[in-house]
Amino acid sequence: MKKLTTLIGMTLFTSTYCFADIARPNNLSAQTPKPRAAIETTMDIRLRPDEKEARLIIPKSQIKQLRAQLETLDEGSNNAAVFTSGNGINGLQTIMSGLFLSLAIVLGGVWFMRSAKSPRANKGVIAAILLSFVASATFVFANAGPPAEARSITGKMFSQAMHIYGFGWGKIKVETTDDDDRITLIVPNPKTSPSPGEE
Amino acid sequence: MQEVRTIGYRLSSAHVFSVAFVLACAIAAALIGSFPLQLSVVTVFLFAGPHNVMEFRYFTSRMPVRWGRSRTFYLAAIAGVLPLTAAYLTLYFSSGNWLWSLESLQTFTAVWNTSFILWVGTLFYLRGQQRRKDWSIAIPIVFLLASLAWVVPQYWSLALVYVHPFIAMWFLERQIRRTKPEWLRAYHYCLASIPFFLVILWASLYGKSNLSQETNLFWRINQHAGSEILQNISSHLLVATHVFLESIHYFVWLLLIPLVDKRAIPWKLNDVPLFSNINGIPKIFVAFLTASVLITVVLWFGFAADYTTTRDIYFAFAIGHVLAEFPFLIKML
Repeated sequence: MKKLTTLIGMTLFTSTYCFADIARPNNLSAQTPKPRAAIETTMDIRLRPDEKEARLIIPKSQIKQLRAQLETLDEGSNNAAVFTSGNGINGLQTIMSGLFLSLAIVLGGVWFMRSAKSPRANKGVIAAILLSFVASATFVFANAGPPAEARSITGKMFSQAMHIYGFGWGKIKVETTDDDDRITLIVPNPKTSPSPGEE
Repeated sequence: MQEVRTIGYRLSSAHVFSVAFVLACAIAAALIGSFPLQLSVVTVFLFAGPHNVMEFRYFTSRMPVRWGRSRTFYLAAIAGVLPLTAAYLTLYFSSGNWLWSLESLQTFTAVWNTSFILWVGTLFYLRGQQRRKDWSIAIPIVFLLASLAWVVPQYWSLALVYVHPFIAMWFLERQIRRTKPEWLRAYHYCLASIPFFLVILWASLYGKSNLSQETNLFWRINQHAGSEILQNISSHLLVATHVFLESIHYFVWLLLIPLVDKRAIPWKLNDVPLFSNINGIPKIFVAFLTASVLITVVLWFGFAADYTTTRDIYFAFAIGHVLAEFPFLIKML
């Protein structure tokens, strides 16, 4: 048993060196920095009170220029960005977390029923569960993002008050057009009715 | 017959201890809040290696010569520490390897986290069996934590980074119970002061701009504290919080544990059963102790020569000592 344990331990330990020492494939193109696809143009930004959604209108001529530039470059993989954005979970994560969560609830319920004679233990468990909720809520709220004005593309995003965040985001519709030769950003800028105290 | 009593206030060692603890935390919080990056570099340089030596020295003083009824527990502990350390190092050093896509790396990381949680839960259960108590609550808790490790792996890994410093405080609490029970109440008040200092740090730093990431080292320090995961929280706050908690961790191992437990004083080898017992392994013990001191010296030279690379290597191998803490802590419960 001791020999088997030692053998397994040695195998796992030496596997560190084996896997860590495998060389990368000789990919010269990966060593040279890739130029980015870029064209210089002008963008109009128009705030319109009657618009309902933000729109980015790109002339077809400029899309064609950009496409021509992209075709001369390697396919830049943005898979890393997709994986590290971290907002979605894949199927395996869902299955495993669901499995463990189910086991936790079932076995926790069994323990709870078995220890019904010990109210002190139950109080401890309830306190621990509440504490974990509080801790999770602290994490969630501490990491809460900026207010709604910085999370939707409207005229309010351009206000001085939003500058402290330094960034914002929101849904936008990207369209193409034949009619213009400049990129246009249409931003809804609904009029805010004055509050009762203001006149 | 009437009895006259004089009620007076005597300054006890517990009072001195609590005042010194709170004062040290206050000074640390002020300095670290003002210079988080600089203090991160300084504290790791000065205390990382020595605190590992102190941990090793403390664990060996708690290791019995004959395991007896604890044989299963210690075997389970070693069976967890060695493979988990090897697997962690494999993941760490092969993360840029073309064999592994980012998705497979995330999966293996979640598998490692799950194995770690199941191992700790097993140790809790075995300890409960030894003490003839029902600690089977550990099983559902372990599965709950495992589900969190899969559904929010980044937050789980970050939680480990921030929970690790509290392990030392828990060790100290168990040790004070055994060897300095008169300090226990004072120590609980000291522990209660730590959230107070954290709230002050957060209140004063939440509006601060993010720290510089202009060098690889600064980026690493920010990333270690979770700046890329908690992007809406100032990295100044995160790094300061992490360095503050780690400083308390170092303070506990280097100063407080030897203060409350004479057996943990490094040069008192006669208090180490593995050294002094007739059935002990004195030569092997001295060899390991000497090696750990030499590694600390090498670490200092490494930090001086190339701080960033040495820091990366140190934190990769430091997982071994983090894992080794768990069996000894659970054994003290």
